Amino acid sequence: MAKLSLMFEEKTVKEVPVGSRPVSIGRSPDNDLPVDNLAVSNYHARVYFEGGRLVVEDLDSLNGTFVNDLRVERATLHDGDSIWIGKHHIKVDASGDAPVPWDTGRKASAPRINETMVLDTKARRDMLQQAAATGERVQFASGRLKVPTLLVVGGRTDQKEYMLTNKLTVIGKSAMATVKVKGWFKPPMAAQINQRDDGFYIGPGDKMPTVNGTAITGPVRLNDGDVIEVCGVRMNFIFRE
Amino acid sequence: MRIVSGGVTDLGRVRTNNEDCFRIVESLSLFVLADGMGGEAHGEVASAMAVETIVKFCMEQGAGAGAALLANAEPSWTEKTKRLTSAVHLANKTIYEAAEAHPEQHGMGATLTAAWIDGSKLSIAHVGDSRAYLLRSGNLQQLTTDHSLVAEQVRRGILTPAEAEESEMQSVLLRALGALPDIEVDTDEHILFARDILMLCCDGLTRMVTEPEIAGTLQAEIDPTKAAEKLIALANERGGVDNITVIVVRVGAESRGWFSWLFGGGRRKAAGNGAAGGS
Repeated sequence: MAKLSLMFEEKTVKEVPVGSRPVSIGRSPDNDLPVDNLAVSNYHARVYFEGGRLVVEDLDSLNGTFVNDLRVERATLHDGDSIWIGKHHIKVDASGDAPVPWDTGRKASAPRINETMVLDTKARRDMLQQAAATGERVQFASGRLKVPTLLVVGGRTDQKEYMLTNKLTVIGKSAMATVKVKGWFKPPMAAQINQRDDGFYIGPGDKMPTVNGTAITGPVRLNDGDVIEVCGVRMNFIFRE
Repeated sequence: MRIVSGGVTDLGRVRTNNEDCFRIVESLSLFVLADGMGGEAHGEVASAMAVETIVKFCMEQGAGAGAALLANAEPSWTEKTKRLTSAVHLANKTIYEAAEAHPEQHGMGATLTAAWIDGSKLSIAHVGDSRAYLLRSGNLQQLTTDHSLVAEQVRRGILTPAEAEESEMQSVLLRALGALPDIEVDTDEHILFARDILMLCCDGLTRMVTEPEIAGTLQAEIDPTKAAEKLIALANERGGVDNITVIVVRVGAESRGWFSWLFGGGRRKAAGNGAAGGS
């Protein structure tokens, strides 16, 4: 199986295998290959198999992804290549066999499906199991259950702490808001936090919130420990074990 | 909440029959959309059956307390949410039994996305790969989870979203009404705010039109029916490979306090003057 080795100066920091699911690389600790360096974007790049070839793709990172010496947006990797991200480099070992992506392996036999169809329970179980066998980390975070929580660290709200259990969370003065802000001249809906498949996103409402001091205009994904500030309320977004 | 809504369904550019079905019950603020499947005309039968069963069940007066709950309901849900969920279970049973009784209809089924607004409370019931979206302060949020194989594979990290878009397995559903005697229904409750825009649509739209385009159209076009028409036109421009159905629901402010009264009155007056000047 192909392997990526994260190197810092000539030392191996971490090794990860590349299976049928993409390996994400970035500063955020929830990446498959976290790289702890300020020059690295939160979600910097990813490496995955495509048609039997190993591919690296830059995820619009600030400082770029380099293969050997060339800055790339997307490139095919070969055995022995080095991916440079900030001061770290990742050695590519593509000597192993490429896993047959479950989907492409099926294409030959499966008829082209234009009509919508439903899988019966057995077929569904089989297909997902088959798919699971090729992916290493199927149900992410199945072992550790973390509850996304807002801790109020400044300003007046109806509670000091909110567990984000809903898909939609509203911060504002409205009686319907999840996080009820108290005080004069506060907007009914100052900001919103929405849950998506890949995490929690904060977006503006009537006000423009700041995340870690930076004003945001569109949805921004929240990371563990981010500090949110809106209409005089300061909150800490954390994942609580 | 003041609710303004509109819905449009379209054949698309490729199909010869429309298997989608939708109903808007304005008096109840109930919105139901289904996308049928199954050869011949059976998809149409299934989607119509789903919509009719749900609307009828929800409209039945006095059914609130007396209605037999067909599913295990979450105790915290509102009466409307429970009723809507029961209605979806009933629709599933109805389609399944019809397909069992008529062998030629075997394999028919439908996706279903329904929304019921009661005051500021929004109840959602969902099965399949049609979608409900909420546009709030320019932020478009999908309220439903697609029960399709590729969506599940993306959630499990087996496919990337880009691979999912290319996949030939996009039409494979993991859940649909009528496929099995019993079914799991996704149910959710949300609080609506003034100026929220809710949209229900089938995959005929979302496979052709991107989310930023949806958000832009919903923001730019105030009339719900026209917004739905514009989205459908865009999907058709891109090829319209499937039937397209869109329901747009705009939520207005509820209370007309002195402030809005002043402004509303002011505007009416200005409009009156304008008309007088023109004549």
